[in-house]
Amino acid sequence: MSEQPITLRVENVTKRYGDFTAVDNISFEVKAGRIFGFLGPNGAGKTTTIRMIVSITAPDEGKIELFGQKMSSELQDKIGYLPEERGLYKKMKIQEQLRYFAALKDVPQKEADKRIDFWLDRMGLSEWKLKKANDLSKGMSQKIQFIAAVLHEPDLIILDEPFSGLDPVNVETLLEVIAELKKKGKTIIFSTHLMETAERLCDDIILINKSRKVLGGKLREVKESFGKNLIALRCSGGEKVLEDKSLVEKVTEHADEKELVLAPNADTQILLKKLIENGAVISKFEQIEPSLNDIFIEQVKEKNA
Amino acid sequence: MRKFLAVVKREYFKVVWTKVFLITTFLAPVGMLAVSLMPLLMFSIKGNAVRVAVVEENGKIFQRLQENLSPEKQVEKFKRSTAESVKNLNASQDEKLKQTAEQFGGSFQLEQISPAGKTTEQIQNELLQRIADKDLDAYLIVPADFDAKDAKFEFYSRNASDFISKTAIEEGLNDAIRLERLAKANISEEKLKEINQKVNFSVKSIDKSGSVKEGNDWGFGIAFGLAFMLYITITLYGSVVMGAVVEEKETKIAEILFSSAKPFELMMGKLVGVCLSGLTQVAIWTFSALAILTYGAVMAGSLGIPKEFPSITPLFIVYFFLFFLAGFFLYSTIYALIGSMVTTTQEGGQFVIFTVIVLMAGLYSVVPIVRDPNSTFSLIASLTPFVSPVSMPARIFIESPPLWQILLSLGLNVLAICGLVWAAARAYRVGMLMYGKKATIPEVWKWIRTS
Repeated sequence: MSEQPITLRVENVTKRYGDFTAVDNISFEVKAGRIFGFLGPNGAGKTTTIRMIVSITAPDEGKIELFGQKMSSELQDKIGYLPEERGLYKKMKIQEQLRYFAALKDVPQKEADKRIDFWLDRMGLSEWKLKKANDLSKGMSQKIQFIAAVLHEPDLIILDEPFSGLDPVNVETLLEVIAELKKKGKTIIFSTHLMETAERLCDDIILINKSRKVLGGKLREVKESFGKNLIALRCSGGEKVLEDKSLVEKVTEHADEKELVLAPNADTQILLKKLIENGAVISKFEQIEPSLNDIFIEQVKEKNA
Repeated sequence: MRKFLAVVKREYFKVVWTKVFLITTFLAPVGMLAVSLMPLLMFSIKGNAVRVAVVEENGKIFQRLQENLSPEKQVEKFKRSTAESVKNLNASQDEKLKQTAEQFGGSFQLEQISPAGKTTEQIQNELLQRIADKDLDAYLIVPADFDAKDAKFEFYSRNASDFISKTAIEEGLNDAIRLERLAKANISEEKLKEINQKVNFSVKSIDKSGSVKEGNDWGFGIAFGLAFMLYITITLYGSVVMGAVVEEKETKIAEILFSSAKPFELMMGKLVGVCLSGLTQVAIWTFSALAILTYGAVMAGSLGIPKEFPSITPLFIVYFFLFFLAGFFLYSTIYALIGSMVTTTQEGGQFVIFTVIVLMAGLYSVVPIVRDPNSTFSLIASLTPFVSPVSMPARIFIESPPLWQILLSLGLNVLAICGLVWAAARAYRVGMLMYGKKATIPEVWKWIRTS
């Protein structure tokens, strides 16, 4: 995939607050036109990293490049940012707020007005245009903040936990919009601790824990690298084979099937062969990938242990 | 620059387009007008003449008292108590003054009662009856030995709390007795006036070129006026500046803002926007106050009260305005800095006293400046930011300092503003990143240095 240009490059970035190292020597690249999942448990250093990317703070060490240039406040207009801690001016009308946020991103008001109408319509909030933020529900204000992040048509959109607090219908709307933006060639960084959404959306991921990078790369490859030793099995008989520790490390019983973890260096084909030889009647034998959730939990637990 | 202007616009209209702003702006002058006209209106509500019976053996005091309480005499007294410039009044002004004196001094209808063999008790009973019948308002008993040291005059009134009548009668009585005593000592009233005549103490000041001009003691007044204006606008708008900073931290909007514009742009824009809205209000008030003052001056002129204004040049007004602006911005930045350090406006309120203290220091520095505008102290005080917005105009008014000093003073204030905004912006950004707890001063200093 080297033909895709690199939108964002984070290189050996470290940020300290006093004695506490919030981000420790993290490096990754985000390629243009892809959705990049920025994953990690709460307090891992996701928000600190994002704040350095959008130039709210500067890294103590390392460098951040956007479109091949060193990140600076001049490049801020090319990024759209939906922070995790969201807020609107309580007593300001929705249209006024969006105009203001657009002006801060250097969008002329005429153009801003057109885009505001478009986006309010797209999000189903047109009738709220002249209402004050105080009157909005939590989900609505979240959609307004999303609009504020994309009004200036940035090339890089950073969404920090964009789905938290949204009902399923709104989650669906937002997913559609994100897909549309991707189709238009926008690069999207999307930070979350919800692995299911990440799995559904992301092309590439990075997982960080305790200020450090744990793993990263294409979602497909990451899963494959963890996916070779798990087997879902539904069968009767052959219990003896499953007790062989040189073949199977661990058996987890589910309702009507078993989940097997292969022993290191064991071969699936040999296992299958031995099961059949031992008279097991097999109705399901499937090599499965671990879910991102499993990888996440395993990795985080391992590192925290 | 466009972003800066966007911030200015938002902050300005956020304040100006509110009902509170409209109400305070337009009702405050009405209120002030009402307050200033209230005493005038109240005093002009005049009752009937107070009917006083004077119980006296031979009528000597009665005569003098009647004279002293006449409108002509009251006007004369008023003239004596005011400056000499009231001497030359034309007839119609004299007439007006008489009316005014009557309004403020009260009018009397005196009646002489001579004991004619009746006992004091009998007379008192008669008079009390008349007061009860509402035929009389008060009576005064003049003792026979009225010019003795311990002579006791008794005044019985239906309404003893009418302080205006009481004072007028007491003063009239005092004058009457004094004149009686003087007559006994063979000194005429004219002679006494001559003796009491004050010296004519005329102050001229010499400026640097050696030419003589009329002296004035307006320097402190000017400084006080400036300090007062600053105090009012800052107490009104400092908390607005602080609130604007705190709001964004509380609502977490700050994070979006900082990802869009430079903290300095945001902070400066906020400050300029709020200050402009404050200036809008102050301008409306100043113009209405000027209108009222002009009206008041015209009224006073028609009443014969002298108008004496200091000679003010247009250039001085420009300087006054510039230093007012510098002061307003400078003190507002302190509030912005406070706002960036605290988490709620209530918390910030605790720090507000410091700005008042600094402002007061500026005001008191004016005393030595007025006494010696060329001293080293005066030079330093009129160049030091925070103090100079008050002290420099006072110095300019008294003597003209070199232009470079005036410009340097303004420049230093502007530098101080920029420095403070810069510090406030940094403290604001770091404060936002670690919200939730109040920062200590050393912490804030660390933020400013390291962020």
